[in-house]
Amino acid sequence: MKKKLLATLLSVSMVMGLAACGSSTADSTTTGADTTGAQTQSADTAKTDTSAGADAAAIDTSEHVVISYMTTGDPPESGSEKEANLNAMLDELNAILTEKVNAELEIYYIPWTDYLSNYNLTLARMDGSVDLVGTASDWLDAWPNAKNGAFLELSEEMLQTYAPQTWASVPADHWELCKYDGDIYLMPEDNYAQWTNHGWIYRLDWAKEAGLSNGVHSWEDMTTYVKWCKENKTDLKYVWDSDGTQYAQMANGWIASHTNFVPIDGICSGALWGGSKDDLYTITTPALTETESLVEYAKLMKEWAEAGVWPTDVLNNTSGSNRDEFRVGDVAVEQHHTQTWTDLCSATPANTIFQDDPDAEVGMFYFGEETGNVIALSITHGAMAVSAGSDNPERALMVYDLIRNDPECYKLFNYGIQGVSWDLDANGLRTTPEGYNSETQNINGMTNYWWGRNDDLEIKDSTRNWDAIDKLYAEYDKIKIDYPYGQFVPDVDSIQGKIDNCNEQYTNYMKQISYGLYNGSAEDIVAEMQAALKTAGIEDVTAELQSQFDALYK
Amino acid sequence: MSNKSKKASTGVKKRGVLETLWRYRVLELMCLPAIVFFFMFSYMPMPGIWVAFVKYNYRKGIFGSKFVGLQNFEFLAESGKLFSLTRNTVLYNLAFIILGNLVAVIIAILLNEIRAKMFKKVSQTLMFLPYFISQVLVGLLVYSLLNYDTGFVNEILVALGKAKWQPYSDPSVWPWLIVLIHLWQQTGYNSVVYFAAICGIDAEIIEAAKVDGANAFQRIRYIILPSLRPTIVILILFALGGIVRGNFGLFWNIIGSNSVLYETTDIIETFVYRATMSDFNFSTASAVGFYQSLVGFAIVMLANFAVKKIDPDYSLF
Repeated sequence: MKKKLLATLLSVSMVMGLAACGSSTADSTTTGADTTGAQTQSADTAKTDTSAGADAAAIDTSEHVVISYMTTGDPPESGSEKEANLNAMLDELNAILTEKVNAELEIYYIPWTDYLSNYNLTLARMDGSVDLVGTASDWLDAWPNAKNGAFLELSEEMLQTYAPQTWASVPADHWELCKYDGDIYLMPEDNYAQWTNHGWIYRLDWAKEAGLSNGVHSWEDMTTYVKWCKENKTDLKYVWDSDGTQYAQMANGWIASHTNFVPIDGICSGALWGGSKDDLYTITTPALTETESLVEYAKLMKEWAEAGVWPTDVLNNTSGSNRDEFRVGDVAVEQHHTQTWTDLCSATPANTIFQDDPDAEVGMFYFGEETGNVIALSITHGAMAVSAGSDNPERALMVYDLIRNDPECYKLFNYGIQGVSWDLDANGLRTTPEGYNSETQNINGMTNYWWGRNDDLEIKDSTRNWDAIDKLYAEYDKIKIDYPYGQFVPDVDSIQGKIDNCNEQYTNYMKQISYGLYNGSAEDIVAEMQAALKTAGIEDVTAELQSQFDALYK
Repeated sequence: MSNKSKKASTGVKKRGVLETLWRYRVLELMCLPAIVFFFMFSYMPMPGIWVAFVKYNYRKGIFGSKFVGLQNFEFLAESGKLFSLTRNTVLYNLAFIILGNLVAVIIAILLNEIRAKMFKKVSQTLMFLPYFISQVLVGLLVYSLLNYDTGFVNEILVALGKAKWQPYSDPSVWPWLIVLIHLWQQTGYNSVVYFAAICGIDAEIIEAAKVDGANAFQRIRYIILPSLRPTIVILILFALGGIVRGNFGLFWNIIGSNSVLYETTDIIETFVYRATMSDFNFSTASAVGFYQSLVGFAIVMLANFAVKKIDPDYSLF
């Protein structure tokens, strides 16, 4: 009897469970239909859009909607002065947006802690909580999300109708780079000069004291510099208060400085696969082939570790805030990209080293300087996408078109209210007005709009050290090559497990190698890493990528 | 209702399901919250396990995505680490289960023997408190205690003129440290169950033993421990079900991304977390979870079978 009872209960629960699931599937299909879902449905919508395109003025904006813009970054503390300033700007912006497209904008923040997982999770929810999504093919999983169905396909008609200025300003070959499987998913930030190639940011004045009169221009110079700082600048907190996450950039940097390797973005964080400058379309894996160089690297980093350049337990040092410490002169090194250096080398109010020491200078030794191996930024390093879960994709496009192209909206959204957060000086450069507080009024640091900045509308910041910056940019322009693999979006379904395993192995060994934490000899650790990579299937991945390369380029 | 009561009166032997349900209605009502809870959170999501067999697409949903068979399971096998990960996970859990229960029983018995009420309450509370500290804070506490440059332990060692200790570069010490931290955090909580079980022992038996001249140790050996046996067995059986499930929060917050220590501290959860973060793959993660559930299920069934052979009274079902 008991058994019978149990059996009944179980079967009832099973049936109900299935029923519950059935209904949820039905739900998701409807949502798909609402917002251009599967392939067949997108065709229908495209048709409707064409008719709308024929009569653009007739776009129905009678309903007032709120467009939620998702960006990475920490939100201003609720109730703070900072938040009040942001809201003041948003009020002004929303008044314009309401007038023009009857919509308003709100910001949905993905805080920096575990940003990638929270970013992806938010997209996976698909519940309409976000409309515009700031994304990137190299650091924010743009392509995996597009493949997983998180982003809406943007048909040409849709773009022409709802984002006409953006459509017109992006050249056709750039749109090509934003396609996956024939559909456009991203609106690229392709008209904004910036360099995000990594390197070592250091105190040029100290380097000169250390005998490097010309600054740091190689890893050997850098070694001299960090050791000198350790010995002579004893009041520093650390030479470099690293938090243990820069291992991959350092390793990539070493490889860029010693080979012609051109990594493929967006396969995995470790930049394991790529071509070389002289033979772009043959895949190489320096982690396997550059054994001698890697051994040398491992030895050098052990030397740095033993000299005490970073905290001993660097891999567990999660509380470091090296960049802010660099601003105030507590550390001597920062590892990041050129764009960050343009800030750190300028005498802005936050960079107090320049107030404390009139001789202070900040230099940048960029990875690849020795070999002239610098690759220009991919145009999808910053891009805007529309969430497939958005209830108002058309209006989202209209809002984006304005904040990207309308001078008034652009300045509000990027700089804030003129006269409060920024102003023009006599030379037409952007300055900060009297009483400006960089802690609370830096709108740029709150809207985090890195997904469609526009050089036609940018106003140069007068606090930046343009002499130094322009000089470095000119140097880059002489040696750079364009990112060659913009159109390569590999189909990795069949090898994803192997890629994950390779990346995991590489990451684990590189942490030890880059921070000189390995036991035993440099030769052993490199050999061990290569063996582990082979076990994880690195050669299979290389072969698969090569065959996809051949299909695309040969 | 009248229908059923009629049936009941017609024949006692042939009782239908509905009738049985009606007969035990009060007990069932008392059970209802638990039934609803398990139904909502354990049975209803169950069909979702299908996600482990598809290439999940957000828009197509779990049942609309492409079926890929066992491809999602290959990842763990291909890593070449399945053995060492499972070994670490199982060994840590064994240590947690055995030592955890042992210490908890000892603490419960000791608490029971304490006569000073004030001291008993205070010490019980103090032992209970670490349970409420978040794992994130535990990780920070451990780092502040043990780190090489500014850690508390090393400051003391230096003050005493001793050489510094560098645990964050030494994988061999972490099994001890992690078990110790786990015990520190969980023992207070676990001992409450045993303490309650001891309180439930018939006071007359203990009184009688006292009258017969049994000393404290004899009372523990011959009365308290045997009375605790069912509780111990049940708690261990429950714990065994999770033996291939690691305590992610504890390991992730204490070890984090320190790959130097992975040899002895990497468990299935932390590995899967790191490796699948890069492509945000729900399907692979579910496949791993499914694997863990299957192994856990098999172990519980085996253990229950073994217990049943030894003493049917103590088995779960």
